[in-house]
Amino acid sequence: MTAPRKPGSGMWYTFRSNRVAQAGSAILLFALVAIVLVRLFSPYDPNDKDYMSILLGPSLEHPFGTDSFGQDVLTRVAYGAQVSLLISVAGLVLGGLVGTVIGMASGFWGGVFDTVTMRFTELLYSFPTYVLALCLMLLLGYGSRSVSLAIALVYVPNFARLARSMTSATRAENYVTAARLMGQSPARILLREILPNIAAPLLVQFSAGLGFGIIMEAGLSFVGLGVQPPTPSLGVMMADGKDYFQKGPWVLTLTGFSVAWIILGLNLLGDGLRDALDPRLRRRLS
Amino acid sequence: MNLLLYFGAKVLGALAMLVVGAGVVFLLMHAVPGDAAMAALGDAASPDAVASFRAEHHLNDPLAQQFWDWARAALTGDLGKSISLAGGFSTSALIAGSLPNTLFVGGFALVIAIAISLVAGSIAASRHGRMEDVLATSGAIVTISMPDFWLGYMLVLVFSLGLGWFPAYGFVRPSESLAGAFHSGFLPALAIAVPMAGIFSRMLRTTLLETFRRAYVVSAHAMGFGRSFIFWHYVFRNALIPYVTAIGLQARYLLGGVVVIERVFGVPGVGSVMVDAAFARDYGVVQGCAVVFLVIVIATNLLVDALCGLLDPRRAA
Repeated sequence: MTAPRKPGSGMWYTFRSNRVAQAGSAILLFALVAIVLVRLFSPYDPNDKDYMSILLGPSLEHPFGTDSFGQDVLTRVAYGAQVSLLISVAGLVLGGLVGTVIGMASGFWGGVFDTVTMRFTELLYSFPTYVLALCLMLLLGYGSRSVSLAIALVYVPNFARLARSMTSATRAENYVTAARLMGQSPARILLREILPNIAAPLLVQFSAGLGFGIIMEAGLSFVGLGVQPPTPSLGVMMADGKDYFQKGPWVLTLTGFSVAWIILGLNLLGDGLRDALDPRLRRRLS
Repeated sequence: MNLLLYFGAKVLGALAMLVVGAGVVFLLMHAVPGDAAMAALGDAASPDAVASFRAEHHLNDPLAQQFWDWARAALTGDLGKSISLAGGFSTSALIAGSLPNTLFVGGFALVIAIAISLVAGSIAASRHGRMEDVLATSGAIVTISMPDFWLGYMLVLVFSLGLGWFPAYGFVRPSESLAGAFHSGFLPALAIAVPMAGIFSRMLRTTLLETFRRAYVVSAHAMGFGRSFIFWHYVFRNALIPYVTAIGLQARYLLGGVVVIERVFGVPGVGSVMVDAAFARDYGVVQGCAVVFLVIVIATNLLVDALCGLLDPRRAA
């Protein structure tokens, strides 16, 4: 007699048979291992200035070269990736939480609240991403916290719409009606019955959003309106690299390449997750 | 008639959105910490100078009054004066000088992105699961993963510093020389267009594949129509609706990209003006630029609605 499969193992099975998700995880794992190894074994400190070795091209001692302060670019990328990723995660978690709560509430109860929140998301959708971010930066001051908030603000409408449409579709399901007839409170129904069933697409949105959050941090810091030096975020390093792009193109090139590498991993993982979690879509497309 | 009603309702909705959006921008810019008078005159300004500046710019009026005055002037094309630039340039003049450049680069990028995605998306879908599909799909996800401003510098590295085909920096206004504008605007437009094309072609591929499976397409096959006839007469037009909608939804990302790319290539567009104004804490100009961007996005969405209404007359019914 075979043991019953544990709940959730179907997801793991589809993940294992999904090449795209595997490629994404492999790329991310490589980045993660590289970051950890560099941070453990790099002989340089990210803020060690060495004026004897300014703007050296990539070599064995400095695989990514050095910047205009003689700092080792690879070491700085390993530290900067953590800063940028944390900013993006913080923004996505905040935007995801607020958006999901708003979306689930308006999908569940509907009515005037629903109309108002949907108009509100439409309004947020009408601002170009960086314009919204820039106004917020002026209001809150530059820095990592404001960048996170800007990313959150850009992603609130995305999560709100997704959560709303999924919730209003789930509301009519039999198990929700059953829970209601059993006298469960709306909060309990939303948390215990609906949320687990709409979590998958939200997770996909989160994973896809992480990559865009990193791009947005990089873009804002690149223009000079985001994270401020000396905090070594990837965007700050790229902004620095653009100032001497002709003399030392490797700083901007290799930092940006690392950014693209991480985002590629996140995007592949997001695509794979979407396919694995949405069998309807997969069946239709296979 | 129905079509007219449909568009009329859309236009009214867009106008309401514009008014509320402008109000939000106005409130945001007035909630900014720090005094506008101090920002303009410097910290060492005498209390008298600050008081007269406040009176001159009506900063003591109630907020609602200020918004009403500003909105009424904005409707006549007057967005106030810059406080940071010597001589107090009018915001409208700054925007009038820079908007054509932004629209040119943005429009150029949109055309390139649509052209690439139509070809790549159609090929990927019609050769589903084969070599061409794998190539187009992987190409799309790689391009989506690149920050556009980094891509801009990589293009500069290859096509300007390496091959010398295009200028690395600077932009010729379309009003001066159209050929020069195309030449100097090509790299910035391409940098914005390539990631966009990735998003668009993925969208087109998915909707095409879904349409291939529709019953009417299957029955068209059963009736013995040729493959290309079915593609153009049954599949393509129906797949265009989600595709056009997706393009409309990307307007805010497209314009966001323009803001950063303008800095990379030194295009004197609205984004550049806005970033400069943000550095100078010139809130009036930031506010004017934000409203202009708002107008562009809302107008784009209106255009998309109109296009979708034309592609699918059932919407207006």
